[in-house]
Amino acid sequence: MRGHNSALALSALPDLERHCQEIRTTILETCIKAGTGHVTSSMSCVEVLVALYRGGVMRYDPGNPQWNGRDRFVLSKGQASPALYVTLADAGFFPKAELDRFAQAEGIFGVHLQHSVPGVETTAGSLGMGFGLAAGMALAALKDRKNHLVFALLGDGELYEGSIWETAMFAAHHRLNNLVTIIDRNFLCTTDWTENLMRLEPLADKWRSFGFEVATIDGNDIGQVMAALKYVRSRRSARPLAILAETTKGAGIDSMADEPIWHGAAPTGAMIDTARTDLARSFKR
Amino acid sequence: MSNLSQRDAFWTRVYEMARENRDVIVISADMGAPALDAIRRDLSAQFLNLGIAEQNAVVVGSGLALEGKTVFIYAIAPFVTLRCLEQIRVQNAMMKIPLTLVGVGAGFGYADSGPTHHMLEDLAVLRAFPAIEIDSISDGVMARAVAERSIKERRINYVRLDRQTLPDLYQPGQDFDDGLAVLRPSECGVALIGTGVMTHQALAVADEIAKKGGPKLGVIDLYRLPVNGQALVQAVKGLKRVATIEEHFLPGGLGSAVVEALSDRNAGVAVSRFGLPAEKGYCYQYGGREALRGWYGVSLPQLVEGVRRLL
Repeated sequence: MRGHNSALALSALPDLERHCQEIRTTILETCIKAGTGHVTSSMSCVEVLVALYRGGVMRYDPGNPQWNGRDRFVLSKGQASPALYVTLADAGFFPKAELDRFAQAEGIFGVHLQHSVPGVETTAGSLGMGFGLAAGMALAALKDRKNHLVFALLGDGELYEGSIWETAMFAAHHRLNNLVTIIDRNFLCTTDWTENLMRLEPLADKWRSFGFEVATIDGNDIGQVMAALKYVRSRRSARPLAILAETTKGAGIDSMADEPIWHGAAPTGAMIDTARTDLARSFKR
Repeated sequence: MSNLSQRDAFWTRVYEMARENRDVIVISADMGAPALDAIRRDLSAQFLNLGIAEQNAVVVGSGLALEGKTVFIYAIAPFVTLRCLEQIRVQNAMMKIPLTLVGVGAGFGYADSGPTHHMLEDLAVLRAFPAIEIDSISDGVMARAVAERSIKERRINYVRLDRQTLPDLYQPGQDFDDGLAVLRPSECGVALIGTGVMTHQALAVADEIAKKGGPKLGVIDLYRLPVNGQALVQAVKGLKRVATIEEHFLPGGLGSAVVEALSDRNAGVAVSRFGLPAEKGYCYQYGGREALRGWYGVSLPQLVEGVRRLL
């Protein structure tokens, strides 16, 4: 069965790759214009969002965001809202002009994720909660024998919230094989590397021991992301799937990447040109 | 159907309605009850024991509710409110996902279990949030009616059940639309306002005072928060004073809510508050509920004495 979004689907990897560049540029410009937004947290998950919304993975209808048969996407790491808002505007959920009003008085959204925005399922910003909501939604789908999927995108920083692991136990116990959990493993929190702060590794083993099927990929390689997501609908396992997408926080902008100081900030002053130049240069690599 | 425990009355009604409505889901944080066992046995697809993990219960329950399920979450009162408070704030108060939190053991319901199990702050904490209603249950008839309303209206509510089996105050068929009920009219210009188990305590205080030849005090059962201010003003019209009686810390509790409602409406009625002084702190005392009340100053004889001084 083809998704409602088939008209938007890009099948060739070079097209998807080019699309990631466009999305990155729009995220950066949106945040520069607003003077705020979590740029680096957004950049790390661009390939995942592009694969889901433009790679033909998810079923959705931008003209009818509440379409009952849609796949649900829950952004648990709500600070990456610019990445999702740009993706949703790109997919046609609302006019792209809305991005110019990001975090402005006349706009419809701000820094953290807001459920009233067309295409957004939940409010997020306080971490660790979206995963549980997604699990509840997945259980409801199984109970009602509906065949849509529920995708949850988690940050690795929010894995420190204990309730994440309550939900992980729950999802495996209830065999939520319609739940696809993607962890944006950028190794960085607000102030430090996860492995300095408090070790998350061996992370794949942790998820496996909780009862998940685990795939580890380079989350900034659109080819690998597509390969991991392509067959989620035909998966036969009873276990929920966790995709550890290893990424770079700030991917595409060398001057901001992998630097804790850039958490939750948009470039200002001279840094604006540096960031733009970095991003343009990354497209040529 | 008289004098069932609130818990049994509540879950029996949920069970009856869940049989007819497959979208009703009951989540238990490893809590049992005879009527819950019936749901687990007869309606197993509608029952989830998520273990002692209240944060997960609220997010998973909210996810189910987002997809159209009517969800109840059951645990001991402090755990289903305070342990998962931020989940409630974001999912329910903020996103307005309908859900019914059911906490058993209001006040000193688990008297001898110690202060971890006493529920002395729930009214103050939960009434701070928009969109959440608190149903503070005073008898089995009300418990049953609230169960029914929770399913029919799919609102966001916290049902505060007493653990003790208390005599029924209401007749079956009573409507609970107003948020409060005048159980006894005042013949002396003074009325007592209670909630939950303390409505029974208020009745006992009024009885004691009348027995000793004192005047006939009014008694009001305030069973829902936020306070229905209009109904309260109507109920205290012509009175010179009301005294609130609660098994809850005084800051932010029933008395505070009554003071706010009357003051905001310039009702011109004085309010005296009887409850647990926060300065006393938590209570590591045993020997039953009335003994704990005595430690804080709200045992029956202490209340009788305190109220008499107001007359």
